[in-house]
Amino acid sequence: FRLNIDGLLVYFPYDYIYPEQYSYMLELKRTLDARGHGVLEMPSGTGKTISLLSLIVAYQKAFPLEVTKLIYCSRTVPEIEKVTQHQIKSLSCLTQQLPGSGPLLQKEPLCRADSLRFGKEVDGKCHSLTASYIRAQRHSDPNMPVCRFYEEFDAVGRQVPLPAGIYNLDDLKDFGRRKGWCPYYLARYSILHANIVVYSYHYLLDPKIADLVSKELAKNSVVVFDEAHNIDNVCIDSMSVNITRRTLDRCQTNVDTLQNTIQKIKETDAAKLKEEYRRLVEGLKEANVARETDIYLSNPVLPDEILKEAVPGTIRTAEHFVGFLRRFMEYLKSRLRVQHVVQESTPQFLKDIFDKVCIDRKPLRFCAERLQSLLRTLEIADIADFSAVTLISNFATLVSTYSQGFTIIIEPFEDRTPTIANPVLHFSCMDPSIAIKPVFQRFQSVVITSGTLSPLDIYPKILDFRPVTMASFTMTLARTCLCPLIVGRGNDQVALSSKFETREDFAVIRNYGNLLLEMSAIVPDGIVAFFTSYVYMENIVASWYEQGILENIQRNKLIFIETPDAAETSMALEKYQEACENGRGAILLSVARGKVSEGIDFVHHFGRAVIMFGVPYVYTQSRILKARLEYLRDQFQIRENDFLTFDAMRHAAQCVGRAIRGKTDYGLMIFADKRYARADKRGKLPRWIQEHINDGSLNLTVDEAIQLSKHFLRQMAQPFRQEDQLGLSLLTLEQLESEEMLQKISQIAHQT
Amino acid sequence: MASLSEEVLLVVKKVRQRKQDGTLYLMAERIAWGPEGKDRFTVSHLYADIRCQKISPDGKAKIQLQLVLHTGESTTFHFSNESSALKDRDAAKELLQQLLPKFKKKANKELEEKNRMLQEDPVLFQLYKDLVVSQVISADEFWANRLGDINNTDPAPYNNKQEVGISGAFLADIRPQTDGCNGLRYNLTADIIESIFRTYPAVKQKYSENVPHNLTEKEFWTRFFQSHYFHRDRINTGTQDIFSECAKQDEKGLKSMVVQGVKNPLVDLLSLEDKTLDEGYGVSSGPPSTSNLNRSVKESSNAAIIKRFNHHSAMVLAAGSRKGLSHLSSVAIEYEDLQRKNRPKTVALNLKKSDRYAHGPVPLLSQHYTTSQDIINSVNHIRHEMVNYKPNLTQVLSSTAATSAIAALSPGGVLMVAGAQQAINQMVPTEVQGELKHLYAAAGELLRHFWSCFPVNTPFLEEKVMKMKSNLERFQMTKLSPFQEKIQRQYLSTNLTGHLEEMLQTAYSKFHIWQTRRMMRKT
Repeated sequence: FRLNIDGLLVYFPYDYIYPEQYSYMLELKRTLDARGHGVLEMPSGTGKTISLLSLIVAYQKAFPLEVTKLIYCSRTVPEIEKVTQHQIKSLSCLTQQLPGSGPLLQKEPLCRADSLRFGKEVDGKCHSLTASYIRAQRHSDPNMPVCRFYEEFDAVGRQVPLPAGIYNLDDLKDFGRRKGWCPYYLARYSILHANIVVYSYHYLLDPKIADLVSKELAKNSVVVFDEAHNIDNVCIDSMSVNITRRTLDRCQTNVDTLQNTIQKIKETDAAKLKEEYRRLVEGLKEANVARETDIYLSNPVLPDEILKEAVPGTIRTAEHFVGFLRRFMEYLKSRLRVQHVVQESTPQFLKDIFDKVCIDRKPLRFCAERLQSLLRTLEIADIADFSAVTLISNFATLVSTYSQGFTIIIEPFEDRTPTIANPVLHFSCMDPSIAIKPVFQRFQSVVITSGTLSPLDIYPKILDFRPVTMASFTMTLARTCLCPLIVGRGNDQVALSSKFETREDFAVIRNYGNLLLEMSAIVPDGIVAFFTSYVYMENIVASWYEQGILENIQRNKLIFIETPDAAETSMALEKYQEACENGRGAILLSVARGKVSEGIDFVHHFGRAVIMFGVPYVYTQSRILKARLEYLRDQFQIRENDFLTFDAMRHAAQCVGRAIRGKTDYGLMIFADKRYARADKRGKLPRWIQEHINDGSLNLTVDEAIQLSKHFLRQMAQPFRQEDQLGLSLLTLEQLESEEMLQKISQIAHQT
Repeated sequence: MASLSEEVLLVVKKVRQRKQDGTLYLMAERIAWGPEGKDRFTVSHLYADIRCQKISPDGKAKIQLQLVLHTGESTTFHFSNESSALKDRDAAKELLQQLLPKFKKKANKELEEKNRMLQEDPVLFQLYKDLVVSQVISADEFWANRLGDINNTDPAPYNNKQEVGISGAFLADIRPQTDGCNGLRYNLTADIIESIFRTYPAVKQKYSENVPHNLTEKEFWTRFFQSHYFHRDRINTGTQDIFSECAKQDEKGLKSMVVQGVKNPLVDLLSLEDKTLDEGYGVSSGPPSTSNLNRSVKESSNAAIIKRFNHHSAMVLAAGSRKGLSHLSSVAIEYEDLQRKNRPKTVALNLKKSDRYAHGPVPLLSQHYTTSQDIINSVNHIRHEMVNYKPNLTQVLSSTAATSAIAALSPGGVLMVAGAQQAINQMVPTEVQGELKHLYAAAGELLRHFWSCFPVNTPFLEEKVMKMKSNLERFQMTKLSPFQEKIQRQYLSTNLTGHLEEMLQTAYSKFHIWQTRRMMRKT
């Protein structure tokens, strides 16, 4: 139905609406109006995505000049699929109401992922068929192999607008097959024209891909990062580099190939190299012009300054550059030969490299660009083979560009196996804002949203941006469908905790076992239990097995356990769901920060209870983490402990939130660690969980928790009808428009 | 003789039946017995007619074999050959054991079905006793309606019984006990063995391969429990162990399950990520393959335990539901409560004891307390309702109907005797109550048959309605009247059967109306 949001007409594809959805849209509209960035937290299962899409689509309709494009980024493939479904729904609603509204397109360029799935060979082969010089050659020699699909597309595809109704990738593939066009290029091309683009984070945040896919997106787009609670890690991942001995070996062969090719070309076609040289002297002007006229999303790997300059003379000729690479590589090799752990900052590293092999900072910065140019000139089709040398050159550029926010750690061996030499050079990014900065700078509105973003103020800090709106919404509930309990003691009054000192304590492990055992007897269908780490889970499972606890649990439910192997875990998951479905009931033992905790929902009977054993702190002994903590303290004044707790609590909330996927759902949330009771931990949980923790449930024993759970489950099992919700947590249009309700709604949004 | 052409599978001489010596013949389709010296069979049963065979216990002097037929009759054979009686009997038993199951399936399915229904539904059984056994209506009539019902609806849930799953902890239930001299005793029941076989087909295969020939049953299980296969941290299974192969087979099974992948895309972790970072990028250090090599023994045994649990649970689950489940909902994006209509997918209840479902467990304290606040609230509520009340004058009852309704609802009226009725619990002895209940059930059944005939538009129905009428009358004569007399003798109020009679009277009058009309039409 139609809604009036602060003067904007929104078509909402459902007959009813939750109050918090309404206030979420209000907040979002404010963000768009102010053309600023926003941070919005709303519990999962309250229809974030659909409200977001409806509002932005309506906004696009109303102000087509101000917002031309919605770029919606989500994390996992199933999430993206879901969004697409929502999308179709909201669009079909819109077109129903407004016949004759233009074709809206939306696309996920998964093609690249598809081609990657077949392996790098396909990618390389594709490149070898479609690279511009190959095609130029073909004009003179028609016998060269050719990609029919690409040629077709190139011939006509660009002129023909895509028909309406192609919403997802399968549609697009179909369309491409019918027309005989290459779907990959079709997808890439249509990104520029689609009104709504749905894709994965990496297409925007990872400079390597963003360059290909997202470079030309219009400035006045709205960017949404959904499920953004881990966005800082994605940013860091995309900017960090690891170099092992294997990488260097492969790099060595790469360089050798380069050398040979240069030799060959020199004999046959020396003019080409000269031409390149000339181009390099002229500098990277083109790119510079493009960036200044605001056509491109800037690439953090390619800093502004170098665009204005010409490639320095030392690496301008091809042979010199190869020699330069060799020297750099040898230097890295020598660094990897250390016997002890080394940690240094980038300026230190640069000084050292200057002292040892006389490599200046400046040529290093041009390394990545120079290599690209060389590869182009040498007409080497199979780019995939050169990933090692590309990696090294990217590293060179990064290390010489950023004097802050990165650290270099060289570890001669893994901590667990000090006898086996396996030297790794970690070049680790500590400042997530570096990767995301271009995004904030380029696009007029960036919205970060998730079910668990608390505490809200930490995200603007670590991502270094200034939001115009920050809001956290709670879930309006007709019945309290979530029941967070903090179990701090066993029945024998032993304090339950996963902290390091008591980790091996049998009393704790036994009490954890008791908790699970008793829960398995009273909770219907599925229970999901999360452990702090995989090693911890293995140990606990082993000792539960020895103590016979697992056997007793098996009397009540089947047990499935996450393993490091993704395929095996998928199978266990499916069996788990099957067991829940056929009424047998099952327990899934899983790991916080694992794949299950991040990507799998346990709706309704798939998860009636979640038990969080311990506080999921990250492994604090890792040097990379230590360096990052130090950096956070120095740069952002965030204390180590605060950040660690924040990180642990967002993961705990993420795990626990897996069970509640809507208002008709219900579930127990059991935090089995006494540390959760402390204010500093509790205060970092999302507000929608926090407000249901009352003082009575702060430090329960196992028995008390069982009693409370029994009571809760009995209440929840009563039939729950729509009428019960209506007017409280579910509104019709008329109810929404009443004065009284609007007042209530304004209280829901919690401004910070 | 016809039997000459039949294939004779076994001939046992010196078998007595009814104190007469004779010979027992087991043929392809029937078992027969003829007295000595005559070439005629006095006893002959088709295998299909035999429900089961029984044998006399081992220690007994007389060595006998009894055949029980579906009809309930039985025939007993006495093997009297002194030297080989036991052997003869066992030979016959073995052969029968093989033959009977083949014919079981052929046996009258309908009969079995009826039998099963009667066994599963005590109410129906009582009804059957009341109506058929006492010959109020014939068995065919009784079933005509019932079976039709069943066949029309869905035979599936009735025909295949719900399979009982396996307890997840069946291995845990085998508690070893010390036997006093430093050994362990495992108690195995047939159920547990069955569970083991269903869960681990590999063990079953081993069992069938080895047990009669190489090992005794006892030895087999001893080895099973000794083997590392049973003890879950099996890393070093010796090669001479017969179960090491099972372990390998299980491993393979697990792998194939993994390779098969998952059908539900929402749980497929492999396709979760759109893109993984290229090698060399990212914070986490390289591939974990290196660390795999040097895991300590303890760690790998822990991993084995975890694997075992997954496998075990999967197998138990698979054994429980061989058919595989209907598909899970593919994309879970709908917010059901935001939508106007939601059609829940329901599964038909398959009830064994329908009355138990209808009544539910009766709470011990069924008293309902009403607080004064509740009362005040409801009074307010009613007052509120009354303010808004607008009579809909076009759709009210006629005045006569209204007065009769008011009369019925006033104290002393027909519908207000509830107070008096309640006393029936105390007034009437329980046996009478039970009897009354049965009568009601029977009468209800008969009336159901009767009324189902209307409108009478086929000759068949006509015939049936006549029959049902006479059935009703017979019921009244043979069942109801004696009961009435009985309660009169016990000086109880005859009012008990008033309603029953009323129902019968209504049926009769309906019948009369129908009959007179028919007569008129005919004349």
